Amino acid sequence: MSKVYFSTWNGEHINNVGKPEEEWEESAYNLPATYDDHRDSKAFIGWDGVALFKEDVDVIRLAMEYAAQYQEYSEACGRCAPGRWGGRILYDQLDKIARGEGAVADMDHLKEVSKSMQMTSKCEIGKTVPNPILDLMTHFEDVFMDCIDNQKKSIHYDSDVSYIAKITAPCTDACPAHVDIPAYIEGVRDLKLDESLRATRQTMPLAHTCGRVCPHPCEDACRRTNLDEPIAIMELKRIGADYETDHGFGFFHPGKGKKKKSIGKKVAVIGSGPAGLTTAYYLAMDGIDVDVYEELPVLGGEVTVGVPEYRMPWEKYQQDIEAVKDLGVNFILNHRVTVDEMREFETSYDATMIASGTRISKAVRCDNERPEMQGYWGAIDFLDWVNLYEKFNIKTPASVQEQQMLPSDHVDLTGKTVVCVGGGFTSMDVVRCSIRAGAKRAVMIYRRDEKTIIRNTTYEEYHEAVEEGVEFIFHSAVNTINDEDDVIKSLLIDKFELVPDPDGGRAQLVKIEGASETIEADYLIPAVSQSADLEFLPEEWELDMTSWATIKTNGKDYMTSRKGIFASGDCEYGPMTIVNAVGQAKRGASVISRYVQSGEVTLSDDEIMEDHLRKMKVYDKKEKVTGWLAGVPRAHSEVLDVDIRKYNNEEVNFGFTQEQSISEAERCMRCYYIAMVAN
Amino acid sequence: MNDKMINFKIDGIPVTAKKGESIIEAARRVGAYIPTMCYLPKTTPNASCRMCSVEVKGQNGFVLSCNTPPVEGIEVITDSEELYKERQNIMKMYNVNHPLQCGVCDKSGECDLQNKTLDFGLNEQTFAVRDQARKKKKWGVHTYDPGLCIMCEKCTAVCNEVIGAEALYIKPGGYKSEIDINMKNCIECGECIAVCPVGALASTDFKYTANAWELNKVPSSCAHCSSACSLYYESKGESIDNVTEKIYRVTNDADFTTLCAAGRFGYDYENFVASKDSQAFQKAVDTFKDAKNVYFNSMITNEEALVLQKLKEKLGFNLVNEEAKNFQKFMNAFASTAGESLYNATHSDLKTSDFIICLGSAVASDNPMVKYSIAKAVNHKKAYVSYIHPVKDDDIRNLVTQYIKNEVGSEEAALAMIANSFIEDKSSQEEFFDSLDLGYLSGESNIALEEIELLKHFSKRKKAFTIIIGEDVINHPESENIARIVGLLQKESEFKVLVIPPQTNTLGVSQICELDEAVEGLSIGYNVKADFTLSAKGNGDLDMPALNQQEGTFVNIDKDLVSLNAGVKYSGYELNDIACALGLETENVIEYTPELGFGEITFDDLPNSIDPSGNITRGIKIESKTNTENALVEPVEDLDEFNGTVVYSCNPLDQFNVFTEDCKQIVEKKSAGNYELIASKQFATAAGLKPGSVVTFSVNGQEFVRKLKVDKNMTGTVAFNPNFDLDMISSEYRYNQVKLKVENE
Repeated sequence: MSKVYFSTWNGEHINNVGKPEEEWEESAYNLPATYDDHRDSKAFIGWDGVALFKEDVDVIRLAMEYAAQYQEYSEACGRCAPGRWGGRILYDQLDKIARGEGAVADMDHLKEVSKSMQMTSKCEIGKTVPNPILDLMTHFEDVFMDCIDNQKKSIHYDSDVSYIAKITAPCTDACPAHVDIPAYIEGVRDLKLDESLRATRQTMPLAHTCGRVCPHPCEDACRRTNLDEPIAIMELKRIGADYETDHGFGFFHPGKGKKKKSIGKKVAVIGSGPAGLTTAYYLAMDGIDVDVYEELPVLGGEVTVGVPEYRMPWEKYQQDIEAVKDLGVNFILNHRVTVDEMREFETSYDATMIASGTRISKAVRCDNERPEMQGYWGAIDFLDWVNLYEKFNIKTPASVQEQQMLPSDHVDLTGKTVVCVGGGFTSMDVVRCSIRAGAKRAVMIYRRDEKTIIRNTTYEEYHEAVEEGVEFIFHSAVNTINDEDDVIKSLLIDKFELVPDPDGGRAQLVKIEGASETIEADYLIPAVSQSADLEFLPEEWELDMTSWATIKTNGKDYMTSRKGIFASGDCEYGPMTIVNAVGQAKRGASVISRYVQSGEVTLSDDEIMEDHLRKMKVYDKKEKVTGWLAGVPRAHSEVLDVDIRKYNNEEVNFGFTQEQSISEAERCMRCYYIAMVAN
Repeated sequence: MNDKMINFKIDGIPVTAKKGESIIEAARRVGAYIPTMCYLPKTTPNASCRMCSVEVKGQNGFVLSCNTPPVEGIEVITDSEELYKERQNIMKMYNVNHPLQCGVCDKSGECDLQNKTLDFGLNEQTFAVRDQARKKKKWGVHTYDPGLCIMCEKCTAVCNEVIGAEALYIKPGGYKSEIDINMKNCIECGECIAVCPVGALASTDFKYTANAWELNKVPSSCAHCSSACSLYYESKGESIDNVTEKIYRVTNDADFTTLCAAGRFGYDYENFVASKDSQAFQKAVDTFKDAKNVYFNSMITNEEALVLQKLKEKLGFNLVNEEAKNFQKFMNAFASTAGESLYNATHSDLKTSDFIICLGSAVASDNPMVKYSIAKAVNHKKAYVSYIHPVKDDDIRNLVTQYIKNEVGSEEAALAMIANSFIEDKSSQEEFFDSLDLGYLSGESNIALEEIELLKHFSKRKKAFTIIIGEDVINHPESENIARIVGLLQKESEFKVLVIPPQTNTLGVSQICELDEAVEGLSIGYNVKADFTLSAKGNGDLDMPALNQQEGTFVNIDKDLVSLNAGVKYSGYELNDIACALGLETENVIEYTPELGFGEITFDDLPNSIDPSGNITRGIKIESKTNTENALVEPVEDLDEFNGTVVYSCNPLDQFNVFTEDCKQIVEKKSAGNYELIASKQFATAAGLKPGSVVTFSVNGQEFVRKLKVDKNMTGTVAFNPNFDLDMISSEYRYNQVKLKVENE
C-alpha cells in the first residue's frame, strides 16, 4: 500500500493536506509511488482518480499535462467530436490558467466541457480524462483560483518535470502480450482489416493462431462483462489475418510495414514455437539478424505438433510463420542444438534466446506406472505423431508403431479405448484426436469438476468434446495400471469428493472408499503436465532454475542468470499458454534489441509503466458501466456439425460472418485509459 | 445471432426491429427524428459525432443509437432537456474555430453544420481553442479544406466501403487530425464530395461558381452505362447576359445512392443548338424515305428506339444495331435454357452476395457500379470474389479473393468448367456434361482443375451466389452456346446471374427493336457515322439532342424502366419531329412510354422516390417471360488460339463513349488516360516498343493510332485499347490479334 499525500484513486478520499508526513494516511491501492530503482514518483494520475505522493506537486500543470497526453495519443482520440474538440478545450483552458491568464469563467467552461466529454465521448478515454482533472479542480480549487485571481503562473509551470504516460485498457492489460485489442477491434468495425491486423502485430505476430486457439484471458477482463457478456475478443483477431491470407496480400507488418536494414547484430533463437517466432519477429523488425534453430522437421513448435488441425489449421499457422520469414529470419530445421553449440553461440551471436518449450510429458504417479509398457503413451509424443501425419503426411516410424500397437503407418485407434489423465488443453486435444482417430471410447480422468475444466480450457472446447462423445470422469484419479505381459489392459480408478474445510479454507478432495472401479483401457495417455528438456545447456553455466525445473529470470527482462542468455515461453514459465509465450518473448526481444546495441539490460519507461499497471490491475469487475445498452447479445460463430467433424480434421470453427464481426466489434466499448506518472 | 424480431418503444411508439437493425434505423423507419452529423445509412456507422445519443428508460447515461441494436422491451427517448443540452454542446464544439465564411462557402444553403447550428439555437460560443494553421489541398477533382472539416469520417467510409478504393484515410493526431489521401488509389469518383456534410471536400470545378439555392434540380438517369444511376442535373443561367441554362453539377441522394466519376462529372455533353435548321431537317425526312439502312447504337431512349422501330415498320428500312443484336441473340439463347427471358440478379442481389464470380468483364471500367456493388458485398458480406479474366486488374485486388487467369478466347471453356462443378443435377443436359473433357478444357483455358476445385471448396459455407457475365462473353464468337450455359447456371445452380448490358440501353433496345443485318445502299446513322448522320455530338448532318436534353426511359441493368428528364434545354429538331413528318403523329416522344411493352404506365407516373429508410422506388421492373424451349447446350468448340500481340477493347476509367469523350472534368482526370494503348512492360518488350511509341494497327477493320503507355502494375501480353472515341460501338469480340506498326521510330 502506498503512502500518499492525497488520493482519489478508485473512489477513495485521502487528503493529508496540512498533515506532517509521518501522519499521512495510506492509500488502499498499490500505486506506483516508486517508479523504478532510481526514480520516485511525485504523482500518479489516471482514469479513476489522482494520487499525489509529494506535497509540492503543481496540480494545475499535472491536470494540463494529463489533458495534453490525451492529445498525444492519436490512435485513441480525434475520432469523435467531444473527444477531438473537448480534449483540446480542456488542454487549452488548463494551460491558460496555468500560465496565469485564466478567468473565473474558464473554470465553468472546463466543467461544462468535461461533462459533455463524460456523457458523449466515443471511447472510455474521452469519458475518463476529465475525471482526475475535475478531482483536482474540486479539491485544489484554491490553487486554481489563486492563479486566476492573481494572474500568476502555476508553481512549476516553467520547471523541468518529466511525465511518463501510457495508454492501456483492461483487456490489453490482462493480455500477457498486451495486444492493443480496442485498436484491432476498431479496424474490424471500420472495415479497415489491414489496419486491424497491423494493430495486432504490434505486439502479437501470431494473429491467425491467437485468433483461434488463445484461452483469451482478456475476455475475463472485458468491461463489457460488467454490463452483459464479454466481447468475443479472440475471434475478432482472426478477421484481419484471414483478410490478408484470403486476398493474397503481402504481409501487413506494424508501423510503416517495412523491413529495417540489418544493423549488423546477430541473435540465436532456440526453438521455433510461439516464443521463438515472436522473438525472431521483433528482433528482425529492429534490423537484427536472427537464426532460429528447430529440432523437429517442421516449424512452429507445439502449435504445430501439439495443437490439432481441427483447432488450428496448419495452412493458417503457416501464414503466421511466413510473416516472420518475410522479415528475413533464418530458420534451421532438424537441428537439435548441442551443449557445444550453446557454448559457441556465446561468441558467434550477440545474444541467445532459449525458447525450447516443455516437451516431456510428466507421469501420472500411479501404481505400476512403467513407460515401457505398451499402451502407455505420453501426450506430447502421441500428439506429435497425430499432427505430423495429419498436417505433413509424415508417417509414424516402425518403432513407434510397434511400441504403440498401431495397425498402420499413422495413429489409427479404431476399436480402442483411450484414457487420458489431464484437464488442460493438451488433454482435450488428446481425447478429441482419439475420437477422430476412430477410438471406440475416449475417457478423460480429471481430479476436479466440470466448472474447473471449463475454467482451465474454454467453454467451447469442453462442450465440443462432450458433443463429440468424449466421456469425462470428474473427481477421479488413476490408482493402478493393470497389464498383461507389459500390455495395458485396464485401470483402477479412484473416486473423490470435495469436502469443505470446516475452518473455511479450501475444500479438500477426499477419496470415497469403496467407490473405485476398474475400466478397460488400451491406452493410458498422461497429459497432466510437461517438463522442460534442457540437456543442451552447458552445466558450467549453472543457470538459475525455478523449483519447477524451468529456467529462472526475473519475469521482467527475461535474462537468465547468465548475461546475454535469455529465456522465454514454457521453458521459462512452465507449460502455459501461447499468448503467455508471445508476451514474454515480445518483452524479451525488446530487451535483447537494446542489449545487443548498448550492452545494457534495461526496460523502457513504457515497459515499466506496463508492469506497474499490471500490478495495479486495470480491470475492475465491480465497476458499474453506464452509457451502453445492456443485453446486446454476443455473437457466436457457426461450428462444423458434430457428425461431420468427428470423422475429419477440418477446422471446427467457421469464424464470424461479416455481419457478426461488425456487430460484435460494435459492442466493444473501447475502454482505453491513460495513466500518467510525474517524476 | 438472434433471429427473432425485437419489440421496443421509441418515444412511446411501439416498434418492431428486424434482425441487424439499429435503434436509429428503426427510428427512421417509423418516422422518429434523431439528429446526426456523421451517420451515413449506406455505410457502417462511424459513431464519431455522438449527436444520435438517446436515452433508454431505466438506464444511466446515453446510448448511441446508430450502432446499438435495440433490446427487447426497452423504451427509447429521442429527446430530452439533457440530450438537447449535450447535442447543443457538440454543435458548439464543431463550431470552435470553424471559419465564419458561409458567405463564400459552396456548401452554404445545404450544409449540415449550418443547418444544425441554427436548429440547436447556438447564439453564443463559450468554448475556445487556440487555432492552428491548416493547409488546403487540391486532390484532382476535389479540394480539401481541413479548416472546414468536422472529421465525421463519411468520406473515408465511402471510399473504403462503397467504392473499394481505400484512397482516403484518417491522419490521426487529436485536434490536429485530418483527412489525407493516397492519391495512387484515388479514382476521383467524387463520392467523398457527395457525402461531405460541410464544405471541406468540394468539387474543384464547381467551387465558387454557384450557390445551392440558385440551382434548378432535375432528377434523371445517368446515360453513360447500363447501371443508369439516379442523379440530379443542377443547372442555372450562366449570367445576367446569358440566361441559357447550363448544368453546373450533378448530385445524387448520397445518403443512399452512389455515382461514379462519369456520372458525377461527365454531364457537359449537351448539344447546344441555337435554332431549328429546317433545311437539314427536310433533308433528313427525305433521306429516311429512301434509306435502306438506319444505323443506331444503344445510347438511345426506349421511346426513340420505338420510334425507329415504328419507322422501320412504316418505311421498310433495315434497322441496324449490331451490338444490341448480339445482346438479343445472347439473351434468346440464354432464355432457351434458363426457362425465362431475363437474368435474375440485380445490384441489390450482388451487394448482398457472399460468393461472386465475375467472368468476361473489365468490371472496374465497364460498369463501375458493378464494381462498387462487389465492394459492398466484400465489405459487408465478406464475399468470396473470383475474377476470371485474361488480364489481372491490380486495382481491385482488395476485392478479389481468387484471380483466375484464363486464356484469351476460352470463356466458354471456363463457364463449362464452372457449370460442371456447380450444377448438381446434370440430368437435363447429360449429353453436354458427358461431352466435357475437363483435362482438355483446363489445358486450353489454362485454368487448372485445382483452381476450380478451390473455387468450389470456398463456396461450401456460402449462402448467396451471383455470377456476373460481361461483354467479353456477349460478343464472343461462341456467344450463343455460352449463353445457354449461363442460362443453365441460372436454372440449375445456386447462382443468380447478372449480365452486364454492354451499353446504356442495350437491354431496352434489345427488347423493343427487331434488328437486321445491314444491306447495300443509302444509310442513315443516328449517332453513328453514315451517308446522312443525325448527331447529338453536333458533327453530323442534322443536330439531335443529347441524352441530358431528352425525356424518355432506359431499361437498366436491374431491369428497371427508369426515366430521363432534360437537364438542359434543346432548341433544335429531334427524332420525333422527323417521325411526325413521316406520319407518326405524336406530339411528345414520351407518349410512347406505355407502348414499349413494359407495362401500361405513363412516363409521368413512373415513380422515383426514396423513403427515410433508404428504400428506393424508381421506375418499374420489366417482367421476365417464361420460356419453355429447353434447348440443349452444345459441346464446347475447339478454341482458336490467340497468339502474338493481342489488344483488348477496354476503355479507361470513366470514359464510355463519344459523349464522355469531351466532358471537361473527365478529360482533365489523370485516370482518363486518353487515347493510349496501355500495356505491361512485358507486352512492350515483346513487341519491341518503348513507352511513348506511337503505333498503328487495325481492329475489325477500324484503324487506330495510339501512343503506348506502359503500366507497371499490369502483367501479361494483352494491351488495353480504348474505343470510346469511336462513334460505331463495337460489337465484336473484345480481344484481337493485331499487327503493330511503329510510327515514330
